Amino acid sequence: MRRRIANVLRMEWAGMARTPNSLLYLVVIPILLIGQAVFLSWVIPQFVNPELVGMEPPAGSGLTAVDMFRLLILAQFPFFALLIPAMIANVNATQSIVEEKTTRTLEPLLATPVRTWELLVGKILAGAVPALVAAWLSSGVFVLLVWLLGWGHLLAYVVNATALVSLVLLMPAVTVLSFVLGVIGSSRARDAKDAQTWALFVALPIFALVAVQVIGFVRLTPLSTVVLSAGLLLIDAVLVRGAVRLFGRESIVIRWR
Amino acid sequence: MIQAEKLTRRFGERTAVDGLSFQAGEGEILGLLGPNGAGKTTTIRMLAGIIAPTSGAATVAGVDPAREPERVHEHVGLLTESPGFYERFSAARNLAYFAGFYPDLDIRRAVGEALDAIGLADRADDKVATFSRGMKQRLALARTLLHRPQVLFLDEPTAGLDPEAASSLRALIDRLRGEGRTILLSTHNLAEAEALCYRIAVLRTRLIALDRADSLRDRQFAPTVRVQIGNLTEAMIAATLAEPYVTEASRSVGDPNGLVVRLTDVDRDRPALVARLVALGAELLEVREDERSLEDVYLSLVREEER
Repeated sequence: MRRRIANVLRMEWAGMARTPNSLLYLVVIPILLIGQAVFLSWVIPQFVNPELVGMEPPAGSGLTAVDMFRLLILAQFPFFALLIPAMIANVNATQSIVEEKTTRTLEPLLATPVRTWELLVGKILAGAVPALVAAWLSSGVFVLLVWLLGWGHLLAYVVNATALVSLVLLMPAVTVLSFVLGVIGSSRARDAKDAQTWALFVALPIFALVAVQVIGFVRLTPLSTVVLSAGLLLIDAVLVRGAVRLFGRESIVIRWR
Repeated sequence: MIQAEKLTRRFGERTAVDGLSFQAGEGEILGLLGPNGAGKTTTIRMLAGIIAPTSGAATVAGVDPAREPERVHEHVGLLTESPGFYERFSAARNLAYFAGFYPDLDIRRAVGEALDAIGLADRADDKVATFSRGMKQRLALARTLLHRPQVLFLDEPTAGLDPEAASSLRALIDRLRGEGRTILLSTHNLAEAEALCYRIAVLRTRLIALDRADSLRDRQFAPTVRVQIGNLTEAMIAATLAEPYVTEASRSVGDPNGLVVRLTDVDRDRPALVARLVALGAELLEVREDERSLEDVYLSLVREEER
């Protein structure tokens, strides 16, 4: 079993290494998201007077109004960072499945002793692990950049318990969700572009999550992040079951177009 | 080696294969003929453990493909209609990937032997994208041989190939049969079926006929001899018809010198017919057996089924 899953993993990763798009997504998406968070934190206070916005620093915190303004943006990064695995995992999933469809390699694969769930697990691991690693590395790079820019005193407010729970629980849950939606979308799609529209189903709630936090409608705590992650993991479990059924031999050969 | 018993597969309201029963023995190539949508690919998929039958049963190399698909895959090789490769990878890397799913297989050795068998060893490290359609099809055949299966399912192996590539692939298939493998060959190429297959199954959702090509021909068409006679008369035709071994005798349509005679057995009765015609004073110009191609047999069977 492990040999067959490892075989899928090796081939998937070899395929990714030969696909400029996959590598580009792994690098470009994190750079864009880190860049926009840092850039906005730097540039907005140059043009907007934070005191006019009325953000009062907590008494005795030693923070300035500019720091408060900056924090408002920086503190959203752990949630913006969810877009990194969401987008990369989705791209990996769609490329992996759509390539199998366009090259017509699925039926010969299904004629080998590999079980379809082994194939799916191999593909999920191959697509999700790089996405998750890229997201975690990006979070590290983000913290390093914030410190290098002289905003180290703000890190205690950014790298808090909520952010850590998000990294450890929410991020893997979003990654798997995105990959599985990619698989489901790809089973009906004719090409990668068509399949990637499913990424919206993951990206939109993440944008919504960031928006409701910025306007102060909801403030995620460590506990609410755990609850949210648990809910997502539950949805993942249901969707993975659906994907396994969709990924059955018979389903692939008869229903996939 | 292959045994199917009332295999049936329905897709919703549509029946793709209906009550198909047959057997194929060791070292036999059994041809599957039938028009598009006749259920050839569905039959192969059921036997290869890709899809399950709605009803009926099968055993392939002693394994039930519906109950133990993964186990049956260890004993069979499936050549799908379209070769299907990861084109950015080399031929060897593609084969190594597929070989990696079989238990206890020395991958490097299996890949080397498979490439040798189909004559592509010198192209092992070339990307599949650079291969011609014929080479890809040979490579696909190599993929089916990686684990040395006892049974091969070949779905339209020569479709879309140029005559040279098709001929080379046919020679390869014949060699594989010579090694004792059982082969189920689905094809639209009737000449190919006649050249390669020991028996032929004509399918149109259900099994219309299953026999050797010669037997199908004899069953479908009465043995016929065409005779060219310089001085053919109605009296000669009547005298010929009176012979006990002649079932039918008539003037050939549009040919005043042509006589068409149906015999009970061409090889046995032809000398007697010639002797009788000479005795009747006929000026014999030509006597030849009316050869019916497998295509005639196939079309006749399918039309009969349509009626």
